[in-house]
Amino acid sequence: MTNPEMQSPINLPSGITLYPSQDKAIDRILNDLMQKSPAEFILLAEASGQILAALGERTTADLVALSSLVVGDLAASQEIARLTGQYQNYQLILREGPQTNTFIAEAGAHMVLFVRVSREVPLGWARLLIHETSRQLADIVSAVPEDVGKLDLGLSEETLSTLVDDGFDSIWKG
Amino acid sequence: MQINWQLRELNLKIVYYGPALSGKTTNLEQIHARVDPAHRSDLVSLKTHEDRTLYFDFLQLELGKINNLTPKIHLYTVPGQSYYEASRRLVLRGADGVVFVADSSPECVNANMMAWQDLESHLASFDMPIERLPIVLQCNKQDLMGALPPPHIKQILHLAAVPAIPAVAMQGDGVFDTLKTITRGVIAYVQHQAAFA
Repeated sequence: MTNPEMQSPINLPSGITLYPSQDKAIDRILNDLMQKSPAEFILLAEASGQILAALGERTTADLVALSSLVVGDLAASQEIARLTGQYQNYQLILREGPQTNTFIAEAGAHMVLFVRVSREVPLGWARLLIHETSRQLADIVSAVPEDVGKLDLGLSEETLSTLVDDGFDSIWKG
Repeated sequence: MQINWQLRELNLKIVYYGPALSGKTTNLEQIHARVDPAHRSDLVSLKTHEDRTLYFDFLQLELGKINNLTPKIHLYTVPGQSYYEASRRLVLRGADGVVFVADSSPECVNANMMAWQDLESHLASFDMPIERLPIVLQCNKQDLMGALPPPHIKQILHLAAVPAIPAVAMQGDGVFDTLKTITRGVIAYVQHQAAFA
């Protein structure tokens, strides 16, 4: 297998590939948002529901489940906006709660940002920071590192099938 | 699909699609019940008061490493009822593979055909030709009196090249085979795409 630092993006119809340099940049941007807002919790997910990053106070919520719901929530909201002619890039949903407010924001075409802040944080301030962060995240993911090579799992189809089967057999209780 | 080289994760999305009451949610419930809890998430279900899928069901599985990458499989179902067409399209977004759960009873031939056409049209709207996407046909409810055999259902849906698996999802029969077959297809597809990227 080749070095992931020297990998190329996979031009699949959907999805994204994150390289270590992009991952570090995302961490830096999210930490910045965490400090500036300040936020209690931040979750970044890929548009199909897969977690990319999570920072801050984790409640007992299953983050994987939360991620799928956050993405579903934004997807439904985007579609409502399209149907009612109100769609624009970087959609944002605000949900006000008794102690905290949560934001779900579109971060470019591939990512969704979930941010929970205390009610003491002014809404306008939080909205401004989240919009800015969303744009920065979208820029990071759209810029592919230059020093990239080729991805290859390096396995024959037969070997791959055996490995997948073994993987499932080991977790299946029957 | 999403690859995170920092975490060495390969994230894949598989969608269970098909007509209303064909057994999509039952597949996920069976998988949830039969997979070691250490390797799966909670089952998330957004249902109506009548216990029908409103938006989607969701379950994540984690396999052991393949060439130093950990595959995480995200399973979704769509709501089958015809008026949830917009929701189905949303859930399909970003899918790496589809399990088409057909109802094998003879009365459901039209419902299967309509659901298949619906799937084709949604994928086309994403510029994703259906012949490029890994798809497995699960012929569910094979225990019903007069159930159509898988080759017959394949013929009706014009799916000569698609693997067809007989199933009785309520009893767990065929559920595991379906899951393994689609995952093999998706991972092979990802590797193939990567080789020509």
